[in-house]
Amino acid sequence: MRLTTTRPATPSVIVMENTSTTIVETHGLTKRYGSGVLAVDSVDMSVRRGEVYGFLGPNGAGKTTTLRMLVGLIRPTSGAATVAGHAPGHPSGLARIGSLIESPGFYPYLSGRENLRVVADLARVNQKRVDEVLDIVELSTRAGRKFGTYSTGMKQRLGVAAALLKDPDLLILDEPSNGLDPQGMAEMRKLIKDIGQGDRTVLLSSHLLGEVEQICDRVGVISNGKLVTQSTVQELLGEEGVLVRAQPIEQAQEVLTRIYGAAAISRQDGAIHLKTKPENSVEINRQLVGAGIGVSELRLFERSLEEVFFQLTGEKQGS
Amino acid sequence: MIATIRSEWRKLRFRPAFFVSAGLVTAITALVYFLSWYQALHPSTGDRGAVNILTLFPDQFVNQVMGAGAVGAIYAGSEFSWSTLKTMFTQRPGRLTVWAGRVVVFSLWMGIMAVALFVAGAALSTVVALFQGHAITWPAGIDIAKGFGVIWLIFVVEGAIGLGLGVLIRQSAAALGAGLIYLLAVEIIAVRFIDSINSGAYQWVGNLFVGQNATALTQSFTSPAFGRTIAPAISAEHAVLVLAAYGVGLMIVAAGLLRLRDVT
Repeated sequence: MRLTTTRPATPSVIVMENTSTTIVETHGLTKRYGSGVLAVDSVDMSVRRGEVYGFLGPNGAGKTTTLRMLVGLIRPTSGAATVAGHAPGHPSGLARIGSLIESPGFYPYLSGRENLRVVADLARVNQKRVDEVLDIVELSTRAGRKFGTYSTGMKQRLGVAAALLKDPDLLILDEPSNGLDPQGMAEMRKLIKDIGQGDRTVLLSSHLLGEVEQICDRVGVISNGKLVTQSTVQELLGEEGVLVRAQPIEQAQEVLTRIYGAAAISRQDGAIHLKTKPENSVEINRQLVGAGIGVSELRLFERSLEEVFFQLTGEKQGS
Repeated sequence: MIATIRSEWRKLRFRPAFFVSAGLVTAITALVYFLSWYQALHPSTGDRGAVNILTLFPDQFVNQVMGAGAVGAIYAGSEFSWSTLKTMFTQRPGRLTVWAGRVVVFSLWMGIMAVALFVAGAALSTVVALFQGHAITWPAGIDIAKGFGVIWLIFVVEGAIGLGLGVLIRQSAAALGAGLIYLLAVEIIAVRFIDSINSGAYQWVGNLFVGQNATALTQSFTSPAFGRTIAPAISAEHAVLVLAAYGVGLMIVAAGLLRLRDVT
């Protein structure tokens, strides 16, 4: 990796050139607003080519600010970033990036199709592509209507269509399900899944854990401006295990500790969490019953992304 | 750059502000013509407010339409949206290219508004001439061209005030209000105050304001029919230079703001 300084207007920003498999890479990316608010704090993030990367965080965590920096809409206070091989906002990089940041920004007096034509002209994309992307987002039949009359779902779809115009290597979608009803959210999830097939990279920010869990290969969790973790969804959820409820519980724990070792066992809410393969459930049951212990519950234990998220961000569930 | 201009034109041609400002220019011209016509036919007893009917005929229409349409130009300029800029700035061209495309198309738009103004003036003067049974003769081509150039320059400068304020304030309604207050009140008060200091010692400062120069430039198009005898305090050349400096300066300042500012 070679470091070069670019964009003299932002002297503290260093751009990294790299030839690795990452399409987005940031180091120490920081944004402090004039009011003193530290919106993004030293974020080190890497998105690999071809993956669907979920950028998770509660509202106000710094997701949108980070994405705005990646597309060059706002300048970092300090830190380094490379997006599609270029500095954020560089025309050559932008030519390979499609983005939908927050709400879609279009002209209300123009039809959906005309809006896309305006964007296609600017992006130097053949006008034929407009109808192709309208087909992809299933808006063709309503493309002649004025944007101002569109529902929230249609606006979001048009935003995705605009992002797809350049047939980009990297698609950055900021909370694309915002304001959608459950059916719209499901359709958007399917759309993103379809778009994410093949070589295209999708960087998806969301606070909807179910959405991220279903769609994404890897996730980064941001909280209070800091990236608190970055890994595959599987790694984040941790090993699977077995939950055991039995009476007497102390005796059950002794039996299981003898078999699986103390490190594999923990107690939570009156139940035993045992790190082992679910296939061992029959053996566990046999051992406990054999020791004269009554087993009331024996099931697969799997942490949800929600639990992990709340644990990582320090937020309280249900608050 | 061509792509940017094409894109700007595509969105501009259906823009309500385009039609509203062109309509505003035409309506103001029509109002001025009809009120002047009424005044010419119903003169008051004194000289005050007297309008010579000869000023309303086709050969004088270039002189007559000068000064109309400032409001339309400010409105056109202040039409601004940061949410759409976000979409524009994340496509291929750099910010300055997007801005340059907007300036080119905006200047073209102001040209179309000037055409609307001239067509309205020519049509209305023809109506007056037909009703009054006056022969229809037109100004020399060079006078029409000069008049068109002056109107276009004034429109561009006043539009640039709207554009600059739109970029600065990032809110089109507030930019329109601020532009109108500046041109219709602040500048007039400021010039009167400056002219009154030290027996007019600082009048040259007052002569650097937009309104003063625009007025002087339009007054340079005079004819005996208007009965003007006092030459404007500012020469036409001075006015053109000052207005052009304003236009270029405002566009550059707005470009700088766009280049450096975060789009949030």
